[in-house]
Amino acid sequence: MAGKEETMQANNIMLRAILFILIVCVWSASTLTGAASRDEPQKTNAGGSIRAEGLAAWQQVYAVLTHPRCINCHTATDYPQQGDDRHRHFANVVRGPTGEGVPGQQCVTCHQEANADSTGVPGAHDWHLAPLSMQWQDPNDKILSSTDVCKAVTDRSKNNNLDSAGLLKHHSEEPLVLWAFRPGRGIDGSMRTLPPLTHEQFVAATRTWAEAGTPCPQNP
Amino acid sequence: METYKLTVNGQPREVTVDPGTPLLWVLREELKMTGTKYGCGIGACGACTVHLDGVATRSCVVPVSLVGNRPIVTIEAMAEDPVGRVVQDVWVSHDVVQCGYCHSGQIMAAVALLKSMPKPTDTDIEESMGGNLCRCGTYVRIREAIKAASLQLR
Repeated sequence: MAGKEETMQANNIMLRAILFILIVCVWSASTLTGAASRDEPQKTNAGGSIRAEGLAAWQQVYAVLTHPRCINCHTATDYPQQGDDRHRHFANVVRGPTGEGVPGQQCVTCHQEANADSTGVPGAHDWHLAPLSMQWQDPNDKILSSTDVCKAVTDRSKNNNLDSAGLLKHHSEEPLVLWAFRPGRGIDGSMRTLPPLTHEQFVAATRTWAEAGTPCPQNP
Repeated sequence: METYKLTVNGQPREVTVDPGTPLLWVLREELKMTGTKYGCGIGACGACTVHLDGVATRSCVVPVSLVGNRPIVTIEAMAEDPVGRVVQDVWVSHDVVQCGYCHSGQIMAAVALLKSMPKPTDTDIEESMGGNLCRCGTYVRIREAIKAASLQLR
């Protein structure tokens, strides 16, 4: 009697084990299938695939460009912004004729060659506002659409005549771009928030977008 | 602590301080040059303005480690500066000062403005001096004095 019960228990365990293995196999197969479908090019041809990848990469670039560390100095107004809430820069700071402030109040009146973490003032070489042609906000501080920012960034009459290689170099090497990924401490001692990508990821996304011919999304 | 060699009003000076020490406190506490004033400590009021390589600079937010070899000029040197002398004279003739606390910074900003822009408009003056606050409200007299200095310097 005891032997029969032991045999039934062993069969029960065996059945449960087989059921578990089956569940795991089905789950793995569905996961892999899903991954494959995400990675599968959205295309009908190779050109479409490259463009789709370029547009996806642009959306990553756009997410960085519109982060406060970047867009606070790409205003449509006569002044820079500061903080994650993108408020007007304190001390009545104004743009000035070249985006570097005015004689008694230049950007370098406070912003030095490097972050001043002991006093909470950010710094990098040649601190200045982007030109008005590179505004990524409207005059009411509303961030422009992905389409409009993309058009501005790729318009050589507005972007300091940068082609795709120039844009990639700008994103890779420009000190103020690099600063955005190492923004230092604020006046309260806390670290400033970072853009949604690392600098390496940002450059990689820019490269993918550039190699796809810097495509811009259509207006929704 | 680090040792820094500075040039202040043309004179070589050496200080040993923490690298994060603001230039203002190096001037006031280490070099005992108290003409430059502490106002807000965050670069918002302009009372601490000095010239760093000729640029009006808020000394309260610039750590001494970032000064490098740039010459520092403070209010103590303005009497010997051709533009500074004129600005100080018009400050007196126009009776600009009330309590006076902010005027070291006001004069340093005004001198930087006039050296860069010898014929400033009212808008130029308001924008350039807009970061120098005065609780006594001497702004109108400041503007008139700068215009007078501009005329004298032509």
